[in-house]
Amino acid sequence: MFNICIDVGGTFTDCLVMDSKGSLRQFKSPTTYPDPSIGFMSSLEKAAQGFEIALQSMLSDVDLLIHGTTLATNTLINRNGAKTGMITTRGFRDVVEIRRGYKNIRTSMYNVFVPPYDPLIPRHLRKEAEERVLFDGSVHTELNEDDVRKAAAELKEKGCQSLAVCFLHSYANDDHEKRAAAIAREVMGDDVYITTSADILSVWREWERFSTTSVSAYTGPEVKRYMENLVSRLDENQFGGTLLMMLSDGLVETVEYCKPRVVNLIGSGPAAAPAAAIYMGNAAGQKNLLSFDMGGTSIDIGLIQDGRIPTTTDAWVQDERVAIKMVDVKSAGAGGGSIAWIDSLGLLRVGPQSAGSTPGPACYGNGGEDPTVTDLDIALGYMDPDFFLGGEIPLDPELSRNAIQDKIGDPLGMNVNEAAQAAMTTVVSYMADQITEISTTVGFDVRDMAIVAGGGAGPMHAPFIAERLGVPNVIVPTIAATYSAFGMFAMDVGRNYARSYIVRADNLELDRVNAHYDDMREEAVDGFASQGVKPEDGVFHRTCEIRYIGQYHEVEVDMPDGHLTDAHIQTAIEAFHDRHKELYTFNMHWKGVEFLTFRLRATAPKKPIHMQSNELAGPDASGAIKGHRDAWFDGKIFDTPVYDGGKLGAGNEIQGPAIIEEPTTTVVVPASYRCTVDNLHGYQLELKTKSQADAGVTL
Amino acid sequence: MSRNVDPITLSTTWHAFQSIAREMRHVIDRTAQSYLLAQLHDMAAGIWDAQGRTIAVPEGPTSMFLSQHFCVEYILEHFGDDLHPGDVFCTNDPYHSQCNHLPDWGFIRPIFYDGELVFMALTRGHMMDTGGSFPGGYFPNGYDIHAEGLIIPPIKVFSKGRERTDVLQLLWNNVRFPEGVKIDNFSLMAALQVCENRITAMLDKYGKDTVLDCVEEMIDRMETSVRSQIRDMPDGTYYGESATDDDGTTLDEQVWVRLDATVKGEELTLDFSKSDDQRKGFVNCVEASTFSRAVAGAFLYFDPELAPFHNAGSMRPVNVICRPGSVCNAQYPATVGGSPVNVGTQILEATVMALSKARPDKAIAGWGRRRGHYLSAIDPRTNERYVQTTTDADGGAGAVSGYDGFEGAMGMSGLGAIQRGSVEEIEIKFPWRTVNYHFVPDMSGAGQYRGGSGMLWEVENLGTDAPVATGSSDGDLTQPPGVQGGDNGPLSRMYIRKGDKKTPARTHRMIEVKTGEILGKVSGGGGGVGDPFKRDPSAVLKDVINDFVTLEGARNTYGVVIDTDTMTVDEEATDALRASA
Repeated sequence: MFNICIDVGGTFTDCLVMDSKGSLRQFKSPTTYPDPSIGFMSSLEKAAQGFEIALQSMLSDVDLLIHGTTLATNTLINRNGAKTGMITTRGFRDVVEIRRGYKNIRTSMYNVFVPPYDPLIPRHLRKEAEERVLFDGSVHTELNEDDVRKAAAELKEKGCQSLAVCFLHSYANDDHEKRAAAIAREVMGDDVYITTSADILSVWREWERFSTTSVSAYTGPEVKRYMENLVSRLDENQFGGTLLMMLSDGLVETVEYCKPRVVNLIGSGPAAAPAAAIYMGNAAGQKNLLSFDMGGTSIDIGLIQDGRIPTTTDAWVQDERVAIKMVDVKSAGAGGGSIAWIDSLGLLRVGPQSAGSTPGPACYGNGGEDPTVTDLDIALGYMDPDFFLGGEIPLDPELSRNAIQDKIGDPLGMNVNEAAQAAMTTVVSYMADQITEISTTVGFDVRDMAIVAGGGAGPMHAPFIAERLGVPNVIVPTIAATYSAFGMFAMDVGRNYARSYIVRADNLELDRVNAHYDDMREEAVDGFASQGVKPEDGVFHRTCEIRYIGQYHEVEVDMPDGHLTDAHIQTAIEAFHDRHKELYTFNMHWKGVEFLTFRLRATAPKKPIHMQSNELAGPDASGAIKGHRDAWFDGKIFDTPVYDGGKLGAGNEIQGPAIIEEPTTTVVVPASYRCTVDNLHGYQLELKTKSQADAGVTL
Repeated sequence: MSRNVDPITLSTTWHAFQSIAREMRHVIDRTAQSYLLAQLHDMAAGIWDAQGRTIAVPEGPTSMFLSQHFCVEYILEHFGDDLHPGDVFCTNDPYHSQCNHLPDWGFIRPIFYDGELVFMALTRGHMMDTGGSFPGGYFPNGYDIHAEGLIIPPIKVFSKGRERTDVLQLLWNNVRFPEGVKIDNFSLMAALQVCENRITAMLDKYGKDTVLDCVEEMIDRMETSVRSQIRDMPDGTYYGESATDDDGTTLDEQVWVRLDATVKGEELTLDFSKSDDQRKGFVNCVEASTFSRAVAGAFLYFDPELAPFHNAGSMRPVNVICRPGSVCNAQYPATVGGSPVNVGTQILEATVMALSKARPDKAIAGWGRRRGHYLSAIDPRTNERYVQTTTDADGGAGAVSGYDGFEGAMGMSGLGAIQRGSVEEIEIKFPWRTVNYHFVPDMSGAGQYRGGSGMLWEVENLGTDAPVATGSSDGDLTQPPGVQGGDNGPLSRMYIRKGDKKTPARTHRMIEVKTGEILGKVSGGGGGVGDPFKRDPSAVLKDVINDFVTLEGARNTYGVVIDTDTMTVDEEATDALRASA
């Protein structure tokens, strides 16, 4: 029996397989465009070859396949989603363009030279229908079905492939939205992707709900098509297990659940990375971590305080407000495929343009003429051109050097070695600045954290970034190359449920609260069935949101399981007073409170991961040296030892500068670091103390 | 002096001050009950040093932000030897401590480390009531400052950590919604406590001397940067002016702000001496209010990269002159209640009018005028009295060189830091149902770059008859200015509707909206930049398709003829029309 996690990134598709003994094996293959399901299947084929069985035999023996994809995010960021229309309450078609007056999203209030927001659904594709529901769910004005028919016909005529139905107060009563969607379905046909706002985010505040719904509608058709292709390819190959998609909130769901709610796949792959960092951090005794995932096109950074996965409901993705709960991971445009270039001022820059997997870096020999970060790695001797992905893809170092000389060296009057080093300094300082910005804007000093380096290119660059920032510890997990995919193994399976019931504590009807929780539990048990989880394995965690009457924001507190009584409600209110004080330094016992949203989180405990530990060995690592090669450190060339990662044993110590080669990744140990091999075959890099360096331990 | 500053510590502490100030704002946002504070963000939070110098003021309305050092300095000067750990001051007084207007209550906490005063934390926000003639604020016809409400000079409401309950009771006893004001007072004070906790942790970690060295470095670096920005402006004196509808007491007589902006080398002088004398009505600004707007206006012309980091160093090369007795430096007992919107906005507009001449490549037009109000009535659902205000009806941002105005941004005084409400949240909280809330075609200032669009906003009163003060509205008679040949933002209008019958209503007045009546506002959007006939015809076409501009507007205002059969630009007819102009 196999369990598999597949993470489709911008450049590579990572596949991590756990067999029945609990041992992990990782496989990588290029991400394919326009249909990433081809690359998905290639990675599985590679895995089957690795296990020396037929693909069909392997797939028929899979229990769980968890899948993360950047497709929804990329569709939004590249603005290549479907032509989308909206039908909304008459008088309110501009809610998503007015967007509560938010202007300063990533810019300061003192910067007025910014282009106005360009909405995903332009104004002429936002149509109105007469209808009105009030905050208590009562109907003020019946739905005018002719308006809906007319609007749907116009949007179909204009070529919309997707439709968002967004009515006011639909969280309290979604009859009109459902009816309008049904009419639109009749008029526009089965090919059109139809989304209703109450189905996407059933909470009040119309702009947050409509915006999130627009994102879902805009990215929906593309991602749905992809998931359908995927399911049919798996079916054709005798897939016998359960396929679950990795969600932005760090949980997983079925394809059927995701298809009409694609916004939940925004940030799908990167959302798993913090779980991997926490797992690795635990093993190393570190709780404050910086998860650094460097792939082909971007770096994803997650800040972990006290071992908790950071989440947010305040996210903006590009210029769009996405109000669902998301794992808080920030991206920056610099990866192995990012292009180094000279700007109009003659300054050296890196990214955000990327050579992707086609044509890819110059050294691929696929016609790429621009030097990428990967080309720099080769020119500087960090990467062995004959050992990329364990030698699967041969690289041509001459092409790297030519590209560097032509595009950087010549314009700046440098030789190829100088040009490569200058460009690498730019890459490292750019990434270091990104990390500083992300950590210090929330008040953390990066020097108090350990960097967990993942992604194919992470272990080669994170140590240099750590050196630049003075970060003392870098952890490189053995599964670095399939880091996010590993995170998918390390987290829970389950779903979040919510019911709104806005009521002052003294008017609260216990029966209604109990009915809501019973309802959610029933839904959760059904959900478990679709995920292949037995109800008795489920863990149910109830919470509710409370605020002081008059406040605009609520605080989430725990609610006990089982049938609730008045005493339980009182306990929750006491917990609210305490939590309010903890969060905000004060509370107000004299003031009444109101309940707003009741929540249930239903999860199934993850299967334990048995990573094979390697044999204990002494500090002497010399037996694993497979050779030496010239590599550049601090502007000097060193005859650098190259270690075969497969031959290193737990407890082996390696002094920088050194290079460690694994089939799917390369670890570079700078001169100022010492590396210890841990018993899970990962690497712990530690900054040498000044006295060690002075004592000449360095070389 | 050799400072013990390494680049990472400097960068970390600098960002940490900013993030502490943001966290203070977050605490207020999460715990306050006033709609203005929690939803619209009419509040300020920041950190000053023991000399009253501005350290961190990352975001907030221009009315109460960049000049809070006036208030901090007043307290340092008058309580210098009587400041203790655990003290908290409260003040709203324009004439002792230079507060903006009475509803904006400020709370100040001195922060000590090892027995030494190191920083001053301040939070300020608009209370739902501050006594006076009418609930909420912006009452247009007070006789003098005493008629506008309770005046609180800096007083200790906490002394050495002990609540002075009697003093607080005196304050709460003089406002109409004591429970609500009490919650918001605690919210503002909690943010100060959070600030003290965070700063203490930072000082523990890096050491006081290192942090203070970093502060000096931050201030010096900003000064150097801003000086070089000013050097990029050609020397000379540049004039700007703008007017508000009237002062609410002497009706229909416009009140003017006039500015001579002089660039000389690395220094910028903003001289408002030619502005009108202070008025009987509620539009008067105290010096600190004028300073804050003027400096905010100047910041818009500096490199946006500097924008998040401005501090006392940025203000050193900027000299603001306000003639005592003018609307830009009102003297006791002048009323000030409406000044954040009226005259306050005009100070910002006059500043960008003048500096857009100094930097024609960075021209900025005026934004759509504020169209707010304050009202108070009874909610039949709870039989409780409420007070309510709004920013929803404001027009969009003004155009700038290179870009159209930002759609949806509310009045210029917020610069996008103040938000609009949520229709659903309003209907949950208040007995008002929104009927219409959308852009209106041809309601923006035309230009090569056009202003953000104006709105139609209509709300139905489901509660008891509601008296409404329209003091936070402006723009019935005056317009946000366009620049470089761009049109001004259009005039706004307001009405009370019963069925199809509309009765006009005016700014700076008291009106009444009865149960079942609809209050309607049509706001003008922002001003334009550059000649409308130079606007890219394809941008005009896009506006027509999206119904921001009508076909007639395209032809008459922009000189663009659109073929309605193909919905494309008729280039020949457009060229001919534009050539004939």
